[in-house]
Amino acid sequence: MIRTENLTFQYQSTSKEFKFPDINIDQNKDLLILGKSGIGKTTFLHLLAGLLKPQRGKVIIDYTETQLLSNAKLDKFRGQNIGLVFQKKHAIQSLTVYKNLQARLFFSGSKTSDSDIDSLLDQLEILDQKHQKVNELSEGQLQRLSIAMAVIHKPKILLADEPTSSLDDETCKIVIDLLKTQAQRTEANLIVITHDQRIKSFFQNQITL
Amino acid sequence: MMNVWKISLENIKSKPLYTFLSVFTLALSIALLLGIQQLKSSFKYQTENNLGGIDLVLGAKGSPLQLVLASILHMDDPTGNIKYSEAKKVAKNRMIKTAVPISYGDNFKGYRIVGTTNEFLFLYDAKISSGKGVDKSLDAVIGATVAEKLGLSVGDTFLSSHGLVENDIDVHDDKFTVVGILEPTYKVIDRLIVTKLESIWDVHAHHDHEEESHSEHNNDEKHGDHAEEHHADEHKDDEKHGDNAEEHHDHDEHKDHDHEEHNENREITSLLISFKTPRALLTLPRRINDQTNMQAALPKFELDKLYSYTGIGFKTITWIAYLILLISGMIIFISLYKMVKERSFDLALLRTFGASNFQLVKLVTYEGLMIVLSAFALGFGLIKILLHFLFQYMQTDYLKGVLQPLAFSEIVPTIVLVLIIIFASISVAIYPILKMKVSTILSNEK
Repeated sequence: MIRTENLTFQYQSTSKEFKFPDINIDQNKDLLILGKSGIGKTTFLHLLAGLLKPQRGKVIIDYTETQLLSNAKLDKFRGQNIGLVFQKKHAIQSLTVYKNLQARLFFSGSKTSDSDIDSLLDQLEILDQKHQKVNELSEGQLQRLSIAMAVIHKPKILLADEPTSSLDDETCKIVIDLLKTQAQRTEANLIVITHDQRIKSFFQNQITL
Repeated sequence: MMNVWKISLENIKSKPLYTFLSVFTLALSIALLLGIQQLKSSFKYQTENNLGGIDLVLGAKGSPLQLVLASILHMDDPTGNIKYSEAKKVAKNRMIKTAVPISYGDNFKGYRIVGTTNEFLFLYDAKISSGKGVDKSLDAVIGATVAEKLGLSVGDTFLSSHGLVENDIDVHDDKFTVVGILEPTYKVIDRLIVTKLESIWDVHAHHDHEEESHSEHNNDEKHGDHAEEHHADEHKDDEKHGDNAEEHHDHDEHKDHDHEEHNENREITSLLISFKTPRALLTLPRRINDQTNMQAALPKFELDKLYSYTGIGFKTITWIAYLILLISGMIIFISLYKMVKERSFDLALLRTFGASNFQLVKLVTYEGLMIVLSAFALGFGLIKILLHFLFQYMQTDYLKGVLQPLAFSEIVPTIVLVLIIIFASISVAIYPILKMKVSTILSNEK
C-alpha cells in the first residue's frame, strides 16, 4: 500500500512548483494517473519511487516514510520494494536475460529460486531467450524483459511510466495485461502514469493531474 | 550468485576490442619498462661482479673499451697481443698486488679458451666442484655453463678451433683434457674454458711457425724443424737473461724453469692487474701509456662509459614506454568514460534496482582493475618473449647468462607508476557517477 500527503516539488532551475494530489491505495489495488505532457507526471512517479525527494509532504509505503530515509537506505528500500517499468525498454546491455535478472536480484538484496525465474520468463514468453544477450532481443521481448526486471524481486509497488505510449493497440493491451497479472501475482500495487487515453478502460481507480 | 565482479567481467567481455587495446598497450608499456630495467640492472650487476677486483687491464694498444670488453667480460675481440716479458716488467711495480696474465686464441664450440695462471680462479672466487685444477699444458678446467651446455665431464677430451668464433675449418690437433669443472659463480667464468698459458702457446706453436715469417727469430733455418727452432729460441732467451739478473732470479722460483725460459718471447693478450693502493691509479696508467708500447685500460672507467652510451638507448626506450603507458591510460579512461556516459541509463537503472552509488563506482573500478591485472600478467609474459627475441636477434649466448631476475624493489616503482596512471584514469571516468542524477537521466532518456 502507498499513500502520499501534500507532496510538492520544485526543480532548482525553475520557479514553478509542482503540487500533487494525495493518493491512498490499499493492497491489491491499481491506480491510473493521467495527465498531459509537462504536467509533472514523471516527477510524481520519481517522488513515489524515491528517485526524487519532495520539497514538502510525505510518501508512505507500507508504513515507511521514504522521504525520511538516508540516500543509502532509500537505495536499498527502492531496490527491495519498488519495481519500475519505463517507456524506454532497458536492461544491462552486456548481460544475458538470465544474468540481468540475477543482477537485479543481487542489487536489491533479494533472493529468488531459478525455478521462479524460469516460471516468470515462461509467463512472459521469453524463456527461450533466457541465455540471449539483451541486444539480441526483439522490441517485444525487451519489453517483456523490462517487466520481468520490475517484478522478479516481488515488489510492493509496481510503477510504470508511459509503458504503452509507443505501442500499437494490440501490444498496448498485452502489456497492460502483463503488468496487471504480474502485479496481482506479486501482490503489488500497480500505478501507471500515462497520457495514453487508450488504457483508461483497464483501470477502476483513476486520477488526472 | 551474481556480484559486481561478474557484471564488470561481462562488461569487459562485451567490448573485446577496447579491452584488447587497453590490456595490450598497458602490457606493452609494462614489458618495456620492466624489460629495460631488467637489462640495465643485469648488465650492471654482471659487469660489476665480473670486475673481480681488477683495477687495470694491460694490453696491446687500441680501443681501451675493446680491451676491457675482451679481457673482463670476454665479449669482444682482443686488441692484439703483448710480450709476456714486458708485461711482467710492469707487474713488478710495488703498487701492484696481483697481476694475472690471460691469453686468447681459441675456442671450443664458441666457448673461449683462456690461457692463464691459477690465480685467475681467485679473481672470481671460483671453486672446483669436481676434478682438480690444471697443472700441465692441455689440461682444462671448465666453467659450470660450459659443462652443462656441452655435456662435458672430467676426463673428456676436445679439440679447440682457432679464433674466438665457433668454426670447423680451423681445428687444432692438440687434444685438451677436462681435468676439473667449476661450481657455478654466475660470473663470466661460468662460460670460459680455463687452461694454462702454456697450452695456448703449445697449440699455436705449429700454427705460428707455419704461418708467420721467421724474421722475429732471426735465423735462417728452414721451418719444419721445430725442435731446432725451439732450441734457438731458448738460446736467445738465455742471452737476454744475462742482462737482467733480477728477472732471472724471479724465474728461479718457478719449478717449471724450462718452460718459463721459453716464455720470455711468448705473448699474452692482457694482464689483469689489481692495485695495492688506490694511489696507483694516478701514476701507473699514465706511466704505462707513455713509456711502453702497451696500453693501460681502467675497466671501471670504460664500463661506466659503456653505460652512458647504452644509457641513451635505454632512456629512449624508457620514454617510449612512458608514452605508451600514457596512451594506455587514455584508452582505459575513454573505454570506462564511454561506458559511464553512453550507458548512463543502464547505470541509472541499476540505481533503481537498489544499487548504491558506491556499487556503481566499484563496477567501473573493477573493470579497470581487471584490465590492469591482465595487463601485468601479459606484460610479464611479454618481457620473456621480447628478451628472448632480442637475444636471438643479437645472436649472443653471452647475455642470456647475464640475465638476472628483477629484484622486487626494482619492480615496485614501475608497478606504482602504472597503478597511479590507471587509478587516475578510473577516477576521472567515475566522476560522472558521483554527480549522477538518476531522476534526470531516467526522465530525459525516454
